[in-house]
Amino acid sequence: MALGPFSAKDHVVITTLGLEFAVAVALGTGGGYWADRHYATTPWLTIIGVLSGFALGMYIVVKEARRMGRTTTSDKNGKDHGSI
Amino acid sequence: MEVSETIAHHILDHDFGVMVGTLHLPITAHTVTMVCVSLVLLLTGILMARRGKSIFSRLLHTAGEEYVAFMRDGIVIPGMGVEGKQFLSYFCTLFLFILFSNLAGLIPQMKTITSNISVTGGLAVCSGALIVYCGLKFHGLWGFIKTFVPGGTPWWLVPLIFPLEVISLLIRVCVLAIRLFANMLSGHMVLLSLLLIIFIIGGMSKIAGTGSAIPAMGLEIFMTLLELLVAFLQAYVFTLLTSIYVGLVIHSH
Repeated sequence: MALGPFSAKDHVVITTLGLEFAVAVALGTGGGYWADRHYATTPWLTIIGVLSGFALGMYIVVKEARRMGRTTTSDKNGKDHGSI
Repeated sequence: MEVSETIAHHILDHDFGVMVGTLHLPITAHTVTMVCVSLVLLLTGILMARRGKSIFSRLLHTAGEEYVAFMRDGIVIPGMGVEGKQFLSYFCTLFLFILFSNLAGLIPQMKTITSNISVTGGLAVCSGALIVYCGLKFHGLWGFIKTFVPGGTPWWLVPLIFPLEVISLLIRVCVLAIRLFANMLSGHMVLLSLLLIIFIIGGMSKIAGTGSAIPAMGLEIFMTLLELLVAFLQAYVFTLLTSIYVGLVIHSH
């Protein structure tokens, strides 16, 4: 399914997706690194943290893409089923 | 002083170290600027609310009305729907505070307080609190908790999806703070770096330093104008994103 045309609101949200992805990976990495130092399990928890952060980032991006796709479809059909 | 030290000295906050007895009052350049911005905002708000007979007073009153109408029709209602009208005053204050804070850095001897992560973090926490408040107000406690699980999620995925949704809400609040902070901080670092180019090249050769002053100043003027645009843009984006996030919670079903 092709996405778009996007509303002005969607454009603003799209510009934040990259940063949200980066923050998710950074949080996962930081949390994993801290846990590794705390439990002396280097490097396993850092690796798990990075992968978890990456998964969370992808989840956020895919969820937003799906929401925008749904909103666009609703607009095309002349209906509004809500945002999420 | 090294170049990096000069940039750090300009960007970082400075504590004046005021002591009242044994109590240390953290009066810093940023807090002083923040108080000045708040006073200017308060004065502007009072003048806007009054409907005097002078042309200036009427102009200010009309500008105030146009501003509120813009916030209502351009940010709050598109982001949150008609339910957002009750929070219009918060968004009007938020936009003006961020805008004045961003612009304060362009005035000599004043600091850009939004280049301090504590300030943007505080603003983002206020927005996060509004998101949670609206969720509780419009859906109740159980309804708000249910908004963290998208419709159609299989029951066995709920323990995985629920924490992901909670963390993604926290990430959104963090992103609000980081975006404003990073944009304002980097803008000022670029401005200062361009200015320092003249002195760095001048340190190597006085003729080359004089020659580099013209292009450096041209870039400096361009970047200052860009900073002016960024000040408006970031205030708009922060306010719009807050309204969108609150709207997503309000219309989550």
